[in-house]
Amino acid sequence: MTTTTSTGSPAPTAVRLARPPSLWARTNKATLVMAAVTLLVFVFFSVADADFLTFANVSNLATQVAPTLIVGVAMTFVITAGQIDLSVGSIVAFVSAVCAQLLLAGWDSSVVLLAGLLMGLGWGLVNGWFTAYQGIPAFIVTLASLSVVRGVALLRTEGFSVPIASTTFFARLGEARWLGFSLSAWIGLVVTALGLVLLHHTRFGQYVIGIGAAEESVRRAGVNVRLVKMAALGFSGLAAGVAGILIAARLGSGSANSAQGFELTVIAAVVLGGTSLLGGRGTIVGTLIGAILTGMIANGLTLMSVSPYLTPIITGAVLILVIWINLRGRGIGPLLRRITSRP
Amino acid sequence: MTDALLVELRGITKSFGPVRSLRGVDLTLRRGEVLGLVGDNGAGKSTLMKVLAGAVQHDDGEIRVRGRAVRFANPSDARAEKIGIVYQDLALCDTIDVAGNLFLGREPRRGPFIDRTTMHAEAARILAELDVKVASTHQEIGTLSGGQRQTVAIARAVSFAPDVLILDEPTAALAVAEVESVLRLIGEVAARGVGVILITHRLQDLFRVCHRITVMYEGTSVDDVPIGELDIERLVGLITRSEQREASA
Repeated sequence: MTTTTSTGSPAPTAVRLARPPSLWARTNKATLVMAAVTLLVFVFFSVADADFLTFANVSNLATQVAPTLIVGVAMTFVITAGQIDLSVGSIVAFVSAVCAQLLLAGWDSSVVLLAGLLMGLGWGLVNGWFTAYQGIPAFIVTLASLSVVRGVALLRTEGFSVPIASTTFFARLGEARWLGFSLSAWIGLVVTALGLVLLHHTRFGQYVIGIGAAEESVRRAGVNVRLVKMAALGFSGLAAGVAGILIAARLGSGSANSAQGFELTVIAAVVLGGTSLLGGRGTIVGTLIGAILTGMIANGLTLMSVSPYLTPIITGAVLILVIWINLRGRGIGPLLRRITSRP
Repeated sequence: MTDALLVELRGITKSFGPVRSLRGVDLTLRRGEVLGLVGDNGAGKSTLMKVLAGAVQHDDGEIRVRGRAVRFANPSDARAEKIGIVYQDLALCDTIDVAGNLFLGREPRRGPFIDRTTMHAEAARILAELDVKVASTHQEIGTLSGGQRQTVAIARAVSFAPDVLILDEPTAALAVAEVESVLRLIGEVAARGVGVILITHRLQDLFRVCHRITVMYEGTSVDDVPIGELDIERLVGLITRSEQREASA
């Protein structure tokens, strides 16, 4: 390596050192592979079924993808910080069921909306407190709350679906549209944009990444790592609350049995996108692509009148296939070095 | 190097339960001086340095910094007295780039956002000044060699503008060329008037950069010798106390 640090001219070196890398070097290659796969699947369904590439279906797809995307963006923070949140499906069910009950009890929609968000955030903070301040692994904490949260919802509703009157403002949210896309889709877009900024352009995002890579290093740098971890799990709870509200509004009912296995869909979308399950590396754009891919597979297969029981099988197979391709794809040139140099 | 004492430790003791790790250690450090701290494993070097860095609280004895008696309750107290330490594990984050690691915990901001342009420009200036060999401030720490990581960790500590810099085994497990660059960096830092305390088992490194050697043995400081009066064999003798044992035998 040649450097120009002769006396009095450190400036050129500094300029060279700070020069940003090319766009190609900055691109997450795993995300790129996923984008290509998503495009292929998109083309496949477009050719295979005439109804797939219509505005009505694309708009419908956006609505279906939105809950996964909203929770997926928050989950990206959780997983990047080296944590996991298995309770999001239960929180979605809890919030949708309890919101429907509160509406039935005569609460005003605006109060119910606020209550729904606070319930989601509250469960998330409970997860976060046990994880960050009591040192119990997030996997265990959220596995327990997965059971408890849905259990409370089932106990309250006795398993019945609670209808939401279509005259309420709450229910009208489910039908609200702008430029042909549903409110859910727009909220999904806004949450993605917020997530992008938060993860890549704020100290909070930097510490989330740092904690996933080496928590002790971040702690020694004087950062309150417990607060950051609790906030990440609080976010995923809050996002699950938003998703619960949107799902209940769209379906016109709230059920404690809804969103079964939702957490796995979300985690699959996040991991498909290129976020590392080991922590320290996260991509919001990847989560967007992952959510679209998993949603598209379910949507396309439904259109092609394939048995609905085949969808989870194909989604799971795609998950393992894509991750396998990813690991192969990284085995070239500098990418190999990048991976092998990691402990 | 000036004559005024930067750090003065007198009779430092520390016990962990029944184990007396430090039994009265004396140590002095001047500005611009590189002090080698040597001793066998368990001699108490690391414990002593943790006391000076505020990570461990001593039982008895006196710490004077710039002539003033101080007592550190935690690492930030020591940092406030401009005492910096680079531990053996470096405290870096592998998946964050060089600039992000240099500024971890104190990223420059514009409004609520990290000002990456300023951060990279500042990082590049720091690295260029210390002549640290990395290709770019955008490189992830995980892609660097052990020596590069060590120099980045030292650069991070130096960027806090410390008066005292403690380095715990900075050249362990490094390739020959990398040891050279770390030693050169230590000289560079001392030349800026920083007092450097170097803990190492690589005795040949001591003769390259140190001005003076303090030898510890079983929790006490037993010798304090200018490097000019030593050669490797004498130094080994001081560490293992072979002369004394032979004399008493």
